[in-house]
Amino acid sequence: MTIDWWTLAIQAINVLILIWLLARFLWRPLEASIEARRKAAEATLKEAEAMRAEAAAGLAEIDATRARFAEERAAGLAEAKMAAEALRTDILSKAAEEAEAQKALARTALAREAEETRAAWAKAAAQLAVDIARKLLAHLDERALREAFLGSLTRELAQLPEAARRSLGANGAALTAVSATPLDSTEKERCRALLGEAIGHPPHLAFATDPGLIAGLELKGPHVIVANSWRADLETIRAEIGHDRSR
Amino acid sequence: MNSPLATQTLFHIGPVPITEQVALTWVLMVVLSACCWAVTRRMSLTPSRLQAFLELVVETVDGQIRETMQAEPAPYRAFIGTLFVFILFANWTSLVPGAEPPTAHVETDAALALLVFLAVIHFSVRANGVSGYLRSFASPSLLMVPLNFVESITRIFSLLVRLFGNVMSGVFVVGIVLSLAGFLVPIPLMALDLLTGGVQAYIFAVLATVFIAGTVSEGRPAASDNAASSNETERGPQ
Repeated sequence: MTIDWWTLAIQAINVLILIWLLARFLWRPLEASIEARRKAAEATLKEAEAMRAEAAAGLAEIDATRARFAEERAAGLAEAKMAAEALRTDILSKAAEEAEAQKALARTALAREAEETRAAWAKAAAQLAVDIARKLLAHLDERALREAFLGSLTRELAQLPEAARRSLGANGAALTAVSATPLDSTEKERCRALLGEAIGHPPHLAFATDPGLIAGLELKGPHVIVANSWRADLETIRAEIGHDRSR
Repeated sequence: MNSPLATQTLFHIGPVPITEQVALTWVLMVVLSACCWAVTRRMSLTPSRLQAFLELVVETVDGQIRETMQAEPAPYRAFIGTLFVFILFANWTSLVPGAEPPTAHVETDAALALLVFLAVIHFSVRANGVSGYLRSFASPSLLMVPLNFVESITRIFSLLVRLFGNVMSGVFVVGIVLSLAGFLVPIPLMALDLLTGGVQAYIFAVLATVFIAGTVSEGRPAASDNAASSNETERGPQ
């Protein structure tokens, strides 16, 4: 076996050239590509890391905003609660005032209605009393009744103070004897005599008739009226009843 | 059939004979360079399947160098990787009808072994200087200098003989079987040649890496020497 040294040298040179060629066309471009991909991956990772940090910051900001919203909501709720409470108090006070006013109105209306009812009942009672009195009067002897009222009139005059009694009909003042039914002449004389005896001097007496008295005999002077009739009694009774009710 | 031990000259350029293996090597160089240029001229961050495969090859070569040498693979990638690629495709040219692998001739294998021998010296001197390279022969002691020197020669011869013997024997066996048996009978042996060619390319590249790594690491100053020299530097002239 012989070795061709020329071939050996040429093959060595060929391999050296191939090393250079492949280094230029294979190894370096591939290494550059791998390096570029590695850098791109690193850049992507850094970018992803930055985005993750940014997202974390965004999340933190969102959490802070949510917390702020919660605080604002709580404050708003508290404020609304206070406003509602104030409004409720205001409404309640107004309602209480209105209720009080309504109650006062109702009381007034009730009082007026009660007064009207009482007046109606009083009127009805007075009318009833007048009717009863008229029915009683129909069963009584009018002359005896007038005699009785004349007697009671003289008693009323006797109970007056002496000075007041003496002033009745003094100085020629006219007195009027008012009866429910007309008096006959005998009764008029007797009345004049009894009144003169009561007041201490003969009176200047006139006679009048007023059926509204129901029954009775009243004496009217310029300054004094001596009420002596059932109407006056009924008026007195009604006034006393009203006085007792108001008391 | 010609003997695989004989070289067949195709033509002469002046006094230089151009043999069949040289011509085939030129064809291989052109094809490999053209394919690599065609593939790598349009690289993108989103790789095609071919680009991804080539990047996988690069990563594999880098990983092998990194594991073997415990160093960054960039300075050694072109040499080791090209050795592997060239030997692999040169071995596989046996599949081309009428072509005989350049590695089946002792001149090509000797040229490859010579380049490994020179690369060992080059990388060792570049890493540790001339003294470092010479110091690598005295590892682990001065008594080992003759043995290490002989070993640096013999291991290169072992590379040469291993590659040449395996590839030449494969071609020889296929030729003998082809001359004795039918046309399709050598196919299993040719398939075995493919496997053998790949394995031999891998072994050659790995051994070259180991030889370079051994010389580079053995040429480094010892830890105690480093400490002494650093102490001298810190003390300074008095």
